[in-house]
Amino acid sequence: MTSRGTPSRFLRSVLQNGVGRYVCQLKRISIVFSKKAQSSLGARDFIEEGVVDYANKNPGTVVYVSPQPCRVPKIVAEYLNGNVREETITSKTSQQISELLTKLTNQSGLEIIRIRKPFHTDSPSIQGLWHPFTNRPLSIGPIRPQKPDSQ
Amino acid sequence: MASGYLLNRGALTLGIHCQRVCRDISLSQVREKKRWMKAYTYLMAKKLKLEGPPPPTPRSQQPHWDYHAEIQAFTHRLHENFSLELLKTAFINPCYLQMEQEKRKGLGVESETAALVLKDNMQLSKKGSAFAESFLIDWCRASFPSLPAIGVESIVGHLTSPAVLTYVARNLGIEDLTMSAEFPVPDDVLCSTFMAVIGALQESSGAERTGLFLRDFLVTQLIGKDLFDMWTVVNPMGLLVEELTKRKTPLPEPRLIRSAGASTVLPLYFVGLYSDKKLLAQGPGETLAAAEEEAARVALRKLYGYTENRRPFDFSPQQQQQQPFIQSASN
Repeated sequence: MTSRGTPSRFLRSVLQNGVGRYVCQLKRISIVFSKKAQSSLGARDFIEEGVVDYANKNPGTVVYVSPQPCRVPKIVAEYLNGNVREETITSKTSQQISELLTKLTNQSGLEIIRIRKPFHTDSPSIQGLWHPFTNRPLSIGPIRPQKPDSQ
Repeated sequence: MASGYLLNRGALTLGIHCQRVCRDISLSQVREKKRWMKAYTYLMAKKLKLEGPPPPTPRSQQPHWDYHAEIQAFTHRLHENFSLELLKTAFINPCYLQMEQEKRKGLGVESETAALVLKDNMQLSKKGSAFAESFLIDWCRASFPSLPAIGVESIVGHLTSPAVLTYVARNLGIEDLTMSAEFPVPDDVLCSTFMAVIGALQESSGAERTGLFLRDFLVTQLIGKDLFDMWTVVNPMGLLVEELTKRKTPLPEPRLIRSAGASTVLPLYFVGLYSDKKLLAQGPGETLAAAEEEAARVALRKLYGYTENRRPFDFSPQQQQQQPFIQSASN
């Protein structure tokens, strides 16, 4: 679909994150995987090796580990602005899953749609925006509104 | 009943009710094409259309929730040291306690055997809102020394208004942790919970840290906002005249500087305000009166130092730290 047909947004941050202090926007992740299925092998390896390190490195994120009989292992990430993202991790290796988690941790929770401009500023102009009267010399004599009959 | 039977089979097969994660077909079901599936999906769609979407449930009643872990993560996420007991008290609202008492009465549980040992957050909330107001007033006066008291009050009033507070609280994850009687949490309850969290922070970490917290989360909401969005001034010209008489400068005289399209549907006039033949400010408008008013507003912004091109606020981390940073909860 074209960019007009798909949703788009402007570049912004949640609650001016980073201006004051940086707050990690990822609230909680739930890792849903199966104990026996083949597609959850990478997930099980990650739970054995990497999840505790991840949880220690990101104390602001709650990690829920949930072994369930499921065919498709998932990571459900919830962000501070309320958005929920689900990523499937079928047949991914432990390394790929930890890279995916780093990616999710570094995201703000805003939607992954086309960003209209790669820049944003709250103070677009220091000296004042240009308009056609800027730097235009004043005409000689006082200016009065034109009378409509004078033509 | 047919739809009841279909409901049970559908719940077993699809497992979509009250589950965020879709469960798959369990081994006891057959794998072939199900003849009832189409009728079931159509019935459920019709039911959804009739009754509308199901009401939202609080996060604490959905799967994967550990209150203590969530509270700890909340403190680490904001890089603050909270005393966990105070913080847990800060999230308990009086409406929640009332609801619990009524539930217990309804169940016939005696108040001695299962007493509700929870305190509500009214005291913390009052403390927090008093501190927040005083801090914001001091900060405003320090950043804009020439802004009059009414201006300071309006800015602080805007920052402590329910709209801004609920926006900040929702984006900090306070709504999930709040214990209240209704869901979605009403605005005033959310505001008082946020203030209670600030009160808890003040009691745990002291006034300085709380001040930095308020600066990082409330004062940042001023970025991109104009003074007269928050402070409604009915007569800017009169206010300007007052200000100039206070500073003992000559009174402003409006003069038409530029004009374009006077006889069209969209005229444009630039009116300049001159004090003792020196230009104070100029402003555009569609009519002469509107342009004069706008020029007065621009002049006021310049006088109070609230222009768009002013020096940005200082949000540098941990300025003037007298005590060493006790516990760094950084990644």
